[in-house]
Amino acid sequence: MRGALLAAAGVLLAASAVLAQDPDLARRQAEAAAAIAGRAEEETVLAEGEGRSEVFAYCTVCHNTALIRRSAFTRDRWDELMDWMAEKHGMNPLEGEFRQAIVDYLATHYGPRQRGPRGGNPFLD
Amino acid sequence: MTQQGGPERSVHELYRDDPERADALAWGRRGVLKGAALAAMGTALGGTIPFARQMPAGLLPAALAQGQGGPQFLEMEGKARLILQGERPLNAETPEHLLDDDVTPADKFFIRNNGSVPEAVADPRTWKITIDGEVNTPIELTLGDLERRFELVTRRLQMECGGNGRSGFSPQAAGNQWGNGAISCAEWTGVRLRDVLRAAGAKDSAKFTGHHGADSHLSAQGPAISRGMRIEKAMDEDTIIAIRMNGAPIPQMHGAPTRLMVPGWPGSLSQKWFTRIELRASPHSGRGMGGTSYRVPVRPIVPGSRNNGADFADLESMPVRCVLTSHAHGARLPTGTRALDLRGQAWAGDLTVSAVHVSVDFGATWQAMTVNPPPNRHAWQRWTGRVALPSDGYFEVWYRATDSNGRMQPHVAANWNPQGYGANPISRAAILVG
Ligand code: HEC
Repeated sequence: MRGALLAAAGVLLAASAVLAQDPDLARRQAEAAAAIAGRAEEETVLAEGEGRSEVFAYCTVCHNTALIRRSAFTRDRWDELMDWMAEKHGMNPLEGEFRQAIVDYLATHYGPRQRGPRGGNPFLD
Repeated sequence: MTQQGGPERSVHELYRDDPERADALAWGRRGVLKGAALAAMGTALGGTIPFARQMPAGLLPAALAQGQGGPQFLEMEGKARLILQGERPLNAETPEHLLDDDVTPADKFFIRNNGSVPEAVADPRTWKITIDGEVNTPIELTLGDLERRFELVTRRLQMECGGNGRSGFSPQAAGNQWGNGAISCAEWTGVRLRDVLRAAGAKDSAKFTGHHGADSHLSAQGPAISRGMRIEKAMDEDTIIAIRMNGAPIPQMHGAPTRLMVPGWPGSLSQKWFTRIELRASPHSGRGMGGTSYRVPVRPIVPGSRNNGADFADLESMPVRCVLTSHAHGARLPTGTRALDLRGQAWAGDLTVSAVHVSVDFGATWQAMTVNPPPNRHAWQRWTGRVALPSDGYFEVWYRATDSNGRMQPHVAANWNPQGYGANPISRAAILVG
């Protein structure tokens, strides 16, 4: 009887332990996310060209270059995004020649391209 | 001007510049593929193209429609190999064929972060949420209070990023270039938001909500995101303050220890690491509201044009969509395969899905699949069916859902908007038999 009660209590404890979360997994996931977000990047992940250093320095304060590398916008849309980043996300507004240099670089190296709906060519390569 | 037809130019580049011309140049193709042109295209794709006659001119086959350099994958304890969309902010998409479970397990749940993932809390039971604004009595509740004072409900709820399908937009729209994989349907346990709002004494003047969470902006200045909705959605019986996902505490990556769940509407309303909801007389003005954020044109605009979104409308119920989970894009099947047993999930925001159709001949003919009813409102629906193949070779499975109002997924992403919300074009998966 006592043994059964103890066993039952043990099951209950085990069940509530599961529900109480593996606090350590939560911590490890948060740390893993921070580590991924904190991965260092080299300037050379961006296309070579005039203005690259400026773009790398100015544009990786908040996010990494993945957002730039996956983009394919016209000059006009890059220009528009500079205002959006300043208005919505607190980027120091870009003006004058510096803005021109940055937008030129982006439009030259990350201009429109036709992309497919999915990544990785399944039958070629 | 670009030079045409140099031997070093890839098929992709040709198609990018002028699809019709590329067809002609690359394959000697005019109108329909035949003879040597068809053979050439078949070779490039690694097989023959049985339904070449139905392939619209200028339509880059799904297997060719690829970005450069394959995708990168997430590696994280407790998570499957998701497609990495970006590291900072950390975003990852579930490959479509991994969405086969009726209840999405934690490891296959997509990740969307607007800001930084907060640190894990030491004692989740002491986590507090606040209800204030247009209420008679602002209240503060711990996780324990929620469980003790209110009825707990468990529901399967589909929740998808407002930008799911964004990569379908042309020209490209800004944001994570999701395929169809920013979708989930987990089993959530929590208390109805309306019960909690009533306990605080929501006033008649409460017409809108504003949601707040613990994650901080990428610049470390202020909150990552703070969105709100009409009070009607807050009062829906399926809108809950969740405390468990799939019977376990909510994983850290998905908003532990409490998360708002607003099924069928843009995922950004389902505030992670949820700390506070305010009721308001006017629409919320937090980060992620107004302008082009989570808003779509009422009067369609020219794709790629400049627009500040002032006269756009908030995206609410998400449009109809389906995924194919039985066959991965790029699946190779044994010689002689003459039928495909297909399977997937379909959903339609606040609505249900009334039909799923499949075509294996580039849309010339469509076949109805079987669609199960949802196990509860706002859950996704299983679809299944079999299609015949006439021969070995290269095929594309095109799959298309129709919602309970009779609206189908369109052929291409419609209603282009600068930040790319609400794209739900028909999807195409490339299959090679033999
Ligand atoms: C003050 C912070 C900050 C700075 C500095 C900044 N951005 Fe951003 N940017 C953001 C935030 C926040 C987002 C939204 C990220 C999200 O929601 O995933 C964003 C989004 C983008 C996007 C949107 C498209 C996408 O794929 O998500 C692009 C492109 C982009 N930034 C490029 C740049 C470039 C180029 C620069 C330098 C001129 C820059 N950013 C500087 C904060 C910043």
